[in-house]
Amino acid sequence: MKQAQFGLRAAAALFAAVTLAWSTGAAAQSAAQRAVDAAKPLCAGGKTITIVWEAGLQSLDPLNFSGPKWEQLTGCKVKVVEAPVSEMFTKIMQEFRAGTGAYDALNVIPAWMPDLAQAGALEVLDPYVEKYGYAKELQSIAATYRDNQMKVNGKIYGFPDDGDVFVFYYRKDLFARDDLKKAFKAKHGYDLAPPKTWKQFGEIGAFFTEALKSEGIYGASMFREAGYGNFMFQERFRNEGGKFFDANMKATVNSPEGVKVLTEWRNENKFMPPGVEKFGFVENLAVFLEGKSAMTISWPPYGRFAAGYLSEEKALSWVPKSKIAGKVGYTLPPGGHPELAAGFALSVAAGSKQKEAAYLFIQWLNSEETSNQRVQLPYALRDPFRDSHFTNPGYLKLWPDAKDYLAALQAASKTGLLDLSLIQTDKYEEALRQGISRLWAGEDPKKILDDIAKQWDEITAKVGVDKQKAVYSAWAAKSGAYPK
Amino acid sequence: MPASCFPLTNSNPTEAFLAATRTLAATRDRRFKYVLVAPSIFVLLLIGIFPLVYLVLVSFQNITMTDMDTSFQGLLNYREMIRSTRMWESLLHTVIFTAIALPVELVLGLAMAQLFIDRIPGRQVFVALLVLPVVISPIVAGATWSLMFDNRFGPINQIIGWLIGGEATILWTINPNLVYPAILVAEIWQWTPFMFLLLLAALSAVDKSQLEAASIDGAGWWRTFFRIVLPAIWPVMAIAILIRGLDLFRLFDIVWALTRGGPGTMTETISIFAYVKGFQQFDTSFTAAVALLIIVLLSIVVMLALKRVELAR
Repeated sequence: MKQAQFGLRAAAALFAAVTLAWSTGAAAQSAAQRAVDAAKPLCAGGKTITIVWEAGLQSLDPLNFSGPKWEQLTGCKVKVVEAPVSEMFTKIMQEFRAGTGAYDALNVIPAWMPDLAQAGALEVLDPYVEKYGYAKELQSIAATYRDNQMKVNGKIYGFPDDGDVFVFYYRKDLFARDDLKKAFKAKHGYDLAPPKTWKQFGEIGAFFTEALKSEGIYGASMFREAGYGNFMFQERFRNEGGKFFDANMKATVNSPEGVKVLTEWRNENKFMPPGVEKFGFVENLAVFLEGKSAMTISWPPYGRFAAGYLSEEKALSWVPKSKIAGKVGYTLPPGGHPELAAGFALSVAAGSKQKEAAYLFIQWLNSEETSNQRVQLPYALRDPFRDSHFTNPGYLKLWPDAKDYLAALQAASKTGLLDLSLIQTDKYEEALRQGISRLWAGEDPKKILDDIAKQWDEITAKVGVDKQKAVYSAWAAKSGAYPK
Repeated sequence: MPASCFPLTNSNPTEAFLAATRTLAATRDRRFKYVLVAPSIFVLLLIGIFPLVYLVLVSFQNITMTDMDTSFQGLLNYREMIRSTRMWESLLHTVIFTAIALPVELVLGLAMAQLFIDRIPGRQVFVALLVLPVVISPIVAGATWSLMFDNRFGPINQIIGWLIGGEATILWTINPNLVYPAILVAEIWQWTPFMFLLLLAALSAVDKSQLEAASIDGAGWWRTFFRIVLPAIWPVMAIAILIRGLDLFRLFDIVWALTRGGPGTMTETISIFAYVKGFQQFDTSFTAAVALLIIVLLSIVVMLALKRVELAR
């Protein structure tokens, strides 16, 4: 009897030990590995996952790195459908409407999510997250992205996968010059330092241009082309205290704050390089890397390009050689709340015929393990979006100022402002883009903004005031909607 | 076979029978031919008519980006279309582009054709070079001109800078006074050679003896041109005008590449308006109504034009 009791206890102890060992092992297994293990049997027949990705540098990630690696790990091939950002939404919607099931996984700009989710084009990911134990790793995505760019109506439609945020870049060497510091203090009565307000920005910019134009350096250069200006306006308008709509969902973009932003833009152009009205990503980058501008605002890759990080990389041959490596400082833009401009989330297409395999691919891409490698790819444009990315020891050593760069990105992610996201967001943004191009054509800021507000009210009325109000209220309640 | 099919007047019954048999065979033969071609005609009609019918159907529904509302909505989209000032403005912009570009392309094309009608040295090489813009895709031509007009790196501003002896920062695609000329230059550059080619062929076919006779009779160049050459090339010229007119009405690529319809909507054509509404904002039913309007307008223009040049006969 005793022997039998002992045997029973031993068996129970063994069972408990095995269970503990198994559960510990399972917990220790990374989300990336879980995705690989689960995908292997699904990929046994030699499947191909088709994913929509932004054309250009962005798509070198799946083409050169993650696609081949996923095939090597699981046997699933990855086909990349490249499209310019301006056409991605159209392509995704057209395919969804056609119902061909041609796309399995998608790169989606978070501001599009309400539209795509409402249209039914995106698969709800919660059941997959639960099934493949990804919830824990989702929690280590930086709070701004995790809390604001993942869900619609409480359901997960995409994994934030790109920490796009505007950063203020400035020439440390110019701000440290004694002659300039002395002259600036004498003129304005405060120390020359990276601007904390837009008023300071205007004064510093004008001062630099006046002092350095003979050296071929302008005070600042900025995105002014309407497509980029849309993001810049949204950021600055809210930093000035502006709200997009009032309590009755009436557009208030034509408020004094809006007029102030457009008026100041026009004035600031006077100390920027000629033709700044047409500056987009590349034009502004060229001017800054050539050392012809003392300050600018842009997405994180500017910092890497300016540092000359892996400038010999073939895919980056189009990037002008940086003449300012080691001279660039990174901080938050004036106002302290940068735009979380665009960004990408990974989603599964609702029309996919192999959703499980598509999901596993995006879980693997987005996981701690894989994403830490992807954000360090020199040629791709994925920016840090997980807490671990900002403190990655390898990343911190990539170039001498990488530590400051990552600290600035992390700070920016904490105070960043979300792009406006409503039903039919593009219509609201289109009105804004057209308004900005009218500004450069010489029209009056107040008149432009009144027209934009009128167009916004018409769009809202067409969507349905109550319907849109509910979506806006949910958006405005997010931590990154307005400065707190 | 009804009895009336048999000719009763023929006195010889055998001949009458044979004639009737031949008639019957001919009728059967004709019917058989129709049976053979019927499937092709059916497919052609299906391809041609179905999209139009579907377009009309969709224009009476309310399909948007988020709602697949296929219920009958009456004239909802047509009312909205009529009220849309942006739509009418885009139509006006299209008419302006057409009204300026078409005559310029015609006159330039004709002048060039007149120049190259004579056997001048290097004619073949010049003609080949002149035709190059036509073979380029319009969107590529637009992108090329976008670079040409670039304020920092574009050769146009560079040349102006040399001429004025300083930096020229002319924002061709932003300045409201320059944006139309910029688009028109690109458009005319690309499509004048098309006019040139057609008119060169037409001019080559003009009867030389008539020109010689006119010359002997002492007719001057203008008189000869207006009384002999122009009437001779008119049928080809009319077709060239019609084709280019229709093309200009659909103007999209060059404007899209240069301005995307901006500043604001200042250069937005009806095609760009329809594209933005239909494929960027997915106002599907509204766009169907706009497309129908374009079809109706173009059909009227084509019918009037064909009637005018008497080609419809």
